[in-house]
Amino acid sequence: MFKLNPKLSQKISYSILFCATILAIIPVAVIIFIIIKNGASAITWEFLTSMPKNGMRGGGILPAIIGTLSIVMCAIAVTLPIGVCAAIYLNEYAKDNLLTRIIKLAIVNLAGVPSVVYGLFGLGIFVMFLKLGVSIIAGALTLAIMELPVIITTARGALNSVPYSFREASLSLGVSRWQTIRHVVLPNALPGILTGAILSIARISGETAPIMFTAAAFYVPHLPTSAFDQVMALPYHLYIISTQIPGMPKNIIFGTALVLLMMVLSMSLIAIIARIYFRKRRKW
Amino acid sequence: MDKIKVENLSCFYGGQCVLESLDINVVKNEILTIIGPANSGKTTFLRTLNRMSDLNTSYSRKGTVYLDDENIFNMNMEKLRKRVGMLFAMPIPLPMTIYENIVYAPKRLGLVSKKNEMDAVVEQALKDASLWDEVKDRLNSSGMKLSGGQQQRLCIARILAINPEVILFDEPCSGLDPISTAKVEESMIELKEKYTIVLVTNNVKQASRVGDRTAFFLMGKLVEIDKTGTMFVSPKQKQTEDYITGRFG
Repeated sequence: MFKLNPKLSQKISYSILFCATILAIIPVAVIIFIIIKNGASAITWEFLTSMPKNGMRGGGILPAIIGTLSIVMCAIAVTLPIGVCAAIYLNEYAKDNLLTRIIKLAIVNLAGVPSVVYGLFGLGIFVMFLKLGVSIIAGALTLAIMELPVIITTARGALNSVPYSFREASLSLGVSRWQTIRHVVLPNALPGILTGAILSIARISGETAPIMFTAAAFYVPHLPTSAFDQVMALPYHLYIISTQIPGMPKNIIFGTALVLLMMVLSMSLIAIIARIYFRKRRKW
Repeated sequence: MDKIKVENLSCFYGGQCVLESLDINVVKNEILTIIGPANSGKTTFLRTLNRMSDLNTSYSRKGTVYLDDENIFNMNMEKLRKRVGMLFAMPIPLPMTIYENIVYAPKRLGLVSKKNEMDAVVEQALKDASLWDEVKDRLNSSGMKLSGGQQQRLCIARILAINPEVILFDEPCSGLDPISTAKVEESMIELKEKYTIVLVTNNVKQASRVGDRTAFFLMGKLVEIDKTGTMFVSPKQKQTEDYITGRFG
C-alpha cells in the first residue's frame, strides 16, 4: 500500500464527506420539487376551504384539514402536560434505582414501536374497550401515547440544559425543591419544551397508521361537531385518493400532498424560528 | 458562645471516608477560616453544615452538628438553609434581573410580599454587600451581565436578603482578581458584626487576613485549630507549619 500525501488524503476525505451531505439533501429537494410541480396548480382558495365533490375527484379538502388539525391539537393537549410532568419527575425527583432505570429503558423502547402497532392498540383499547368509537378523541389518544416518549425525551433534554448550579443556588437559599423547579428550572426549560412540542405536532400531523383504525374516515359529508365524531384526515385522505379512487386527477393528489407537506414544514419552521429567538434571549 | 458545634462527624462518598471523626465549634460572630490542600474535606465539611451534600446520593454521614443546640440533621432542610446561607466558589447569579435575584428567595419563603417591602430589602441587601452604588441605576438589567466580582457580591446580597444567622463561604474568591477579592474580604469583615462566618479557602494569606480562628484540615482530619494570629506565628504541628509556609500543598 502506498502512502497518500496528507494534502491529497485531506482532499479525498473532504469530497467524500461533502458528497454524502449532498446525497442526503437531494431526495428531500426532489420530493419537494415534484410535489410542488405537480400539485401547485390545484392549490386555490376554494381547494382549501370547500368540501370534496364528485366522489372526491373535485372540490376541496377542507374536512381533511380540519380533521387533521383537531386530532393533532387534541393529541398534543393530552400528551404535553403528561410528558412534561413525567420528564420533571424523572429528571428532578427520581432516585437512580432499578425502577427508574426500567422506566427510562421503557421510554426509549416505546419510541421504537412501529406506528401501526399503536394503531392496533388504539383500536383495541380506545375504540373497542373504552367504547369511544372511531372518533377524534380515540385517534388523538392513540397519537398522544405514541408521541409521549418523544415529548418526555425532548422535555428531559430541555430540563437538563438548565445548569445544575442554578438549582443549587436556589436550594441553598432555603427555597424548596418544587419552588426551584417552578420558578427557576421550568421557565428556563420552557423554550426547549415548546420547540420540542411544535416538532412533535409536525411529526404526528403526517402519521397515517395510528389514526387509520381509530379516527379517520373514508368520506364524511360534514365537518366534525364533537370530539366523538369520525373525521377525514389529510394523510389518510391522501392514501385513499392515491390508491382507492379510479380516475383521480393527478393535481388533486399532489395538491393534497403539498398541503400536508406545507403544514409539517411550516411547523418545523416555526420551531426553528422559536429556537433562534429563545437562544438569542437566553441569559446564560 | 458556640453557634455551631460539631460532634464526631464523619462523612463518606460512596463508602469512602472523606472526613473522619471531626470535633469542631464555630463561635458566634467570628470568622472561622478553614485551610488545607485539595481532598482534605474542607468543602465536604462546609456543605454538610447546610446539608447541601445531602443532595448527592452517594454521600452519607455519621455524627451530629448542632446549630444553637438543635441537631441540624433533624431539622427541616429548607429552614436550615434559610438560617445557614452559602456562597459558592463560582458566582451563580440566577438568570434574572439584579432586583429579582435578590427578592427571589424572600418572595419564595414568604418573607416579603408588598412592592415597597421588596424595594427596601433590595436596597438594604445591596448596601450591605457594598454593591448598591454600582448597580442602583440598573436594577432591572440581568444579574449575569455584571463582572465576576460584582456577581459574587450580588450573591452575597442575595444571601443577606433572607437574613441568615450563619454564612458559609466556599472559596468565594477563587475566580476573582485581587481588587474584587479585597472587596469581598472587606464585606466579610463587616458582616461578622451580624453573622457568624465559616470561610473555606485555598489561599493561606486570605485566611491570615480575615480569620479570627483558623483550622487546618489534612486528608479528612482536623490537624490543628487556633487563633489565626497564634497559628500563623507559632503552629503547634509540623504539618501545619509546612502548609502555611508553602512547603507543600
